[in-house]
Amino acid sequence: MALLEVEDLRTHFKTREGEVRAVDGVSFEVEEGSVLGIVGESGCGKSVTSLSIMGLVQSPGRVVSGAIRFEGRDLTTMADKALEDIRGKQISMIFQDPMTSLNPTLTIGTQITETLRRHLGLSKADAEKRAIGLLEEVHIPDAKRRVRDYPHRFSGGMRQRVMIAIALSCNPKLLIADEPTTALDVTVQAGVLELLDELRRDHGMTMIIISHNMGVIAETAEQVLVMYAGQVVEQASVNDLFDRPEHPYTEALLASLPHIDDADPRNGRLTTIPGRPPDLLYPPAACRFAARCKYAGRDDCATVPPELREIRPGHWVRSQHPASERSAEPVGAR
Amino acid sequence: MSEPDLATTESAPRRGPRGLDRPFMQRRAEFEEALSRNASARGAEAGASLPRASLWGDAFHRFMKNKASVVAAIAFLLLLAFVIFVPWLSNEDPYALDFSQAYQSPSWAHPFGTDGFGRDLLVRTALGGRVSFAIGFAATFAIMVVGIVYGATAGFVGGHVDNALMRFLDALYGLPYLPFAIMTLAVFGTVNFWTMVVALTIASWFTTARVMRGQIFTLKQNDYVRAAYAVGAKGPRVLYRHLLVNTLGVIIVFVFLELPGVILGEAFLSFLGLGINPPKASWGTLAQDGYTAYQAHPYIIVIPSICIAWLILSAFFIADGLRDALDPRTKEA
Amino acid sequence: MLAFIIRRIVWTIPVLLLVILMTFLMMKLIKGNPFQVTDRPVPESIQRNLDRKFHLDKPWWVQYLYYVRDTARLDLGPSLVQRNQDVNDVIKEHFPTSIKLGLMAMAFAIIIGIPLGVFAALKHNTALDYTAMGIANLGFALPSFLVATLLIYFFALRLKDYTGLPTNGWTGPSSWILPTIALGIYPMTYFARLVRGTVLETLQQDYIRTAKAKGLRWRLVVGKHVLRNSLIPAVTAAGPVLGGLITGSFIVETIFGIPGIGKYYVTAVTGRDYSVVMGITVLLSVIIIVANLVVDILYGYLDPRIRDERA
Repeated sequence: MALLEVEDLRTHFKTREGEVRAVDGVSFEVEEGSVLGIVGESGCGKSVTSLSIMGLVQSPGRVVSGAIRFEGRDLTTMADKALEDIRGKQISMIFQDPMTSLNPTLTIGTQITETLRRHLGLSKADAEKRAIGLLEEVHIPDAKRRVRDYPHRFSGGMRQRVMIAIALSCNPKLLIADEPTTALDVTVQAGVLELLDELRRDHGMTMIIISHNMGVIAETAEQVLVMYAGQVVEQASVNDLFDRPEHPYTEALLASLPHIDDADPRNGRLTTIPGRPPDLLYPPAACRFAARCKYAGRDDCATVPPELREIRPGHWVRSQHPASERSAEPVGAR
Repeated sequence: MSEPDLATTESAPRRGPRGLDRPFMQRRAEFEEALSRNASARGAEAGASLPRASLWGDAFHRFMKNKASVVAAIAFLLLLAFVIFVPWLSNEDPYALDFSQAYQSPSWAHPFGTDGFGRDLLVRTALGGRVSFAIGFAATFAIMVVGIVYGATAGFVGGHVDNALMRFLDALYGLPYLPFAIMTLAVFGTVNFWTMVVALTIASWFTTARVMRGQIFTLKQNDYVRAAYAVGAKGPRVLYRHLLVNTLGVIIVFVFLELPGVILGEAFLSFLGLGINPPKASWGTLAQDGYTAYQAHPYIIVIPSICIAWLILSAFFIADGLRDALDPRTKEA
Repeated sequence: MLAFIIRRIVWTIPVLLLVILMTFLMMKLIKGNPFQVTDRPVPESIQRNLDRKFHLDKPWWVQYLYYVRDTARLDLGPSLVQRNQDVNDVIKEHFPTSIKLGLMAMAFAIIIGIPLGVFAALKHNTALDYTAMGIANLGFALPSFLVATLLIYFFALRLKDYTGLPTNGWTGPSSWILPTIALGIYPMTYFARLVRGTVLETLQQDYIRTAKAKGLRWRLVVGKHVLRNSLIPAVTAAGPVLGGLITGSFIVETIFGIPGIGKYYVTAVTGRDYSVVMGITVLLSVIIIVANLVVDILYGYLDPRIRDERA
């Protein structure tokens, strides 16, 4: 049994214009000790998926259907109180923007110790000692003094480290990292990713890392989920995904990354994917990527929604025209 | 709480015209971006040209979609209509004294009843409304003029002038509202329409000045201002064409925030006996009349007070709606 | 931080001087001779003596300086109309009442208003929210003279037999209730709306999401994270509100026949009792300035970011 099993998750948002289907039938499993990367562009539903797992989706959004099984127990049917016990203790989450994710009027120490005291019942003194230890673990210099500081005295990278310390404080089994490096300088990003890797191995944690940055995913993940318009369009091990991508979207994503050793760097143009993601109020009935797909033809692409199928052992794709099945002539190419 | 301190209070849930301190151009760009995103995703061809949107047109639509604002706007207009048309259409002579009819409770003949002199209160209330509105609009206009001139000058010129003007303004905040207005009236000696307007203006222009200064100061930093200078525009033109125009939204919101404050201020002064002289009446003097007889005839004070409350509520919600309509980044609160 | 406090306190002095100056000038502009009690003009010799006594024969700026000096010595001069009273006496007699009323109304406003705002925000968009805000809006729109009158009408007259509340006067606790409510309703609605707004805004913040993600109990999240951040603006607003309450209680005092500063003020102005008017206005200004000062300083203690900025 995998540590986390998500089955046909649907999370919708009730808006004045209608129901936005942000996550529309997402399923995956995360084995204990592994690292799952979820990649996709803004608005594809990856953050909402992680929030759904934590039960943190705010009104007007709610999980409409599906199951989220953590160690066998379905989180979607749990009472709030029970979820509160799991959050921070068994499953932790770190967020994208470290500048706003910490309470500016409480000291860093308080924000760490409150978690410790809540879940582990530590005394004030013990909690504070532990907090200092955690800060040292995430390589914050001069931890003993810094524990009394307020968030605004820390830089962005250090705040993210503090967030990691908080998330790890009760030794969770699963850590969800939602775009942990996106708001940070490139030079700081590497440090944070390294830290995450080190801690993960030290604590034996399972991790889900979400990013729109292929590089981050390539470096950290073992399994990768590619999401588009609220659905999973491809799933594979990281090496297989990058070596032999199947879905046209994944191919396009990889093609749009600039390479230093391109044939003619002076050419200047980056490959882009024309068009925009579909409106999730009225998602297309069939393939959601068809409008932008090079290979979409006048065949079923516009009428039959493709299912997620295992094209190779361990490699799943949702497309009528995965790379390995394409003939030399693209069908009905535009 | 100095009762008529409305200018700062309905900003209460949000301090100051929230969001309207971002430059017009940026907001406009965000607006169009949001619009275009919606339009294209609904099936429009990628890259197709989008209909041009104007900030005012869209603000109008947003305002109309806000139910509370529309209701408030209708209520406000109804009140105005009441005030304008009732005396015109009525046959009652509001000045005729007829003691035999004194103190009649509301009835079909006199929907608002009669006062101690037998005068029909429906017409008197409407006439009083005319006076209150007139004072209100005049004072609000004056406040806007003074506030804008003062604030824009400070913000635009900047430097020492700005410093001095703002420090002076800070000092003025130390003057208590009612006493200041009362003293101004005392200086004039009499209380008529104009002295009342001046007194209210003098006591209430500070907030507008401060906000305008803030707006102009922030807008001044924008690149398009620098660009205007670069193509040879002179100071006054820049101030007018680029800066003031972009503060129009804030100004309009403030009009609806200051208007009730001023009318309430006039009512308070009248209540203290410093109102317009009879037989001309305002809602405030009517309330004061009613007060002297409230134990036996409570309706006389209730009616003009409700008119005032009606105005305050409708103006407040209109201001709220305008604020949201002009700022595309409103959160669902 | 200390430097900031000192600077801020020092800054109030020119402000005060300016306020006194403005009041002084306005008083000078009010025509009328306070010494003239009857229609007959005051005999010249007497007028001259009076003028000399009150420095009225000197140029205005000299008078101003005299006044400032006296005020600094806390001598606000004699009442020009009430022959045997000093302005200080008048103040001592009437002012404590106004302060008491103001403080009670403030307590009412805070005790009712803030929890109301918090609950409305937490139960956002429910019936409780709408009712609470409906009441708040009503209280904010209805002019205080109406509220006061209605309170008296219903509770002290119509329901007299049940409540035993007096219709006016200032004698004992039962006479404090209605005026406190009448004066306190408006600031109560102010606090309620302010707090509701700040709580709603705080709830949207990322750090609240973090707190929830940590698995903290919701009650703790609200009590510790939400309230702490959203009450800061309310605290900073409390200063000016209190200042406004004490200085703006004219209407309520008039209606309830409370012998406070407000009632006295209007009489003094119409009676051309310059020194009393000056004295009271200056005093009220001092209160407002001090209230703003206290709040300004307090703000620094409450928000650690400001604390550092000012250090």
